[in-house]
Amino acid sequence: MQWIILANAKKRKARVVMTVAGIAIGVATLFALLALSAGIEQALDREISGMGAHILLLPEGCPYELTLSLMQGSDAFEHIPVEMLPTIQEVANVEVAVPVAVGKAKVNGQLNSIYGTTPEILGIRSWGIESFEGAVVGSDVAEKLGLEVGDVLNIQLYSSVELPISTILEPTFGRDDTFVFVPMELAQEVLGLGNQLSAVLVRTEVVSESTQTQYTLGRMSDIQAVPPSEVFDRLIELFVSVKQTLILITAIAIVAGILTTMNTMTMAVYERKQEIGILRALGSTRFNVFKLFVAESLFLSLLGGAVGLVGGYVATLFLPQNSGFGLEATPQFSFLYLVICLAVAVVVGVSSSLYPAMAAARTQPIKTLREL
Amino acid sequence: MRIELDNVWKSYGTGDAQFWALQEVSFTASDGDFVSIVGPSGSGKSTMLHLLGCLDLPTKGAVRVDDASIEDLSDHQMSRIRRDKIGFVFQQYFLNASMTALQNVLLPMDLAGVDGGRKKAAAALEVVGLGHRLGSFSSELSGGEQQRVAIARALANHPSIVLADEPTGSLDSKTGKAVLDMLISLNEEKDLGIVMVTHDETVASTANESIHVLDGRISR
Repeated sequence: MQWIILANAKKRKARVVMTVAGIAIGVATLFALLALSAGIEQALDREISGMGAHILLLPEGCPYELTLSLMQGSDAFEHIPVEMLPTIQEVANVEVAVPVAVGKAKVNGQLNSIYGTTPEILGIRSWGIESFEGAVVGSDVAEKLGLEVGDVLNIQLYSSVELPISTILEPTFGRDDTFVFVPMELAQEVLGLGNQLSAVLVRTEVVSESTQTQYTLGRMSDIQAVPPSEVFDRLIELFVSVKQTLILITAIAIVAGILTTMNTMTMAVYERKQEIGILRALGSTRFNVFKLFVAESLFLSLLGGAVGLVGGYVATLFLPQNSGFGLEATPQFSFLYLVICLAVAVVVGVSSSLYPAMAAARTQPIKTLREL
Repeated sequence: MRIELDNVWKSYGTGDAQFWALQEVSFTASDGDFVSIVGPSGSGKSTMLHLLGCLDLPTKGAVRVDDASIEDLSDHQMSRIRRDKIGFVFQQYFLNASMTALQNVLLPMDLAGVDGGRKKAAAALEVVGLGHRLGSFSSELSGGEQQRVAIARALANHPSIVLADEPTGSLDSKTGKAVLDMLISLNEEKDLGIVMVTHDETVASTANESIHVLDGRISR
């Protein structure tokens, strides 16, 4: 039967190309969506766990928005007074409390995120360096601005300061690669924050007792204590609802694809009436004809699925990689997505061919011969 | 194999528009016969051929294949009879334009699940003198060549009877004669039953027996 399908496909190249393209677009969209979603979820997980904190202390306001601002290195409107830091450090089970002040400033004339903090940051980040002096520059920033250790940075917003680079970090493949880490007071001065902090990252001594510590810290006025895992779960929930909407839109496109393919196949049945009639006259059973049309559609769908997978993969290479929460997300490909997409293509192929295949199988050879 | 039309009537349309294409027709075709059905256009000769080929059912009377009434057979069983026991040759050849000569002959073999179909299809084309045109599409073949491919296709599953509807109708006299010679030799050498519909008395005379049809009735 395969050679019959191929012979027919060769004869109707334009129709094959259009049908395959229609299915391929749907499959490519789905594949890219799944791969990008997985990439964004992974990036979110990496960023939040990469903070190294067991508890995030944030100013009042939406904790998820504030966390995203912190991850993206943007200043939020709300802040924590720096005077609270000693009180925070005295709470039981707090091993270390790292103050953070973030915002955008001009670094050597180019806008970049500034991350003000203290040497305690080395206790919670896995950078593999021993001292925090001068400016510690993320690998992407260093590459973008052509910086080397010993260069003097000019950082400018509310004031202008000069600072030598002590370290260029190894790539972390997270947002740290895009930050310029500077001493806290200097960041506060440049960013015009005064004695205010964007957040405090807390690491606890006994992790299993973090909930109690979080509760104690959360009772302090003007701040809220949030476990990063909760922020992650909430953001993932938010993201999943967006993803579901996108999948729904893709599903509608796929249903439209099914109807289009069904229409194409039905038209093909009418166009090939003579061929079907002769086939039946030569002894083809109704089931043979039915099988032939379903197999043809399946062939086109699998071809469309394969083209769509390649197209989806290529598309992800050209899509902006910071599309999810402003995080740098690398699309994640898995065998499961490949199976899902091909399964969708098969469903499209089979479901769109059932009606036309039944119509073809119903063809009466005598009726066709009398019309010829 | 024996196909019998027993007092067959066939009508098309209903009510006032009912038209009797065949009336009181009785006829038998068996292996080794070479019969021509002669008559003018609209006389009912093609309708007879369709009934003999299990493509249609009679309105009245019975069509029997080896004593089994086709009205008692399922669509599937009738398809099997067409596939395994009957070969068709049409005036317009009706080759599949997207297939090569070889593939057109291979098609009925493929339907029957014949092993080594390609070799056998090539051999069938060799028999009709087209061993050198296996890869040609119908658009690349002359009318005579196309009809020879159609004959090879009809012979693909070694049928007992070939039903030919105006097999020379679209061919010039020389090519038509060559096709008729081929049918004669198949009948004589392979004991193949042939029922040929034609409106041409000269063509009809090549058969061993001729029956004449006029206004849906066998006239002589």
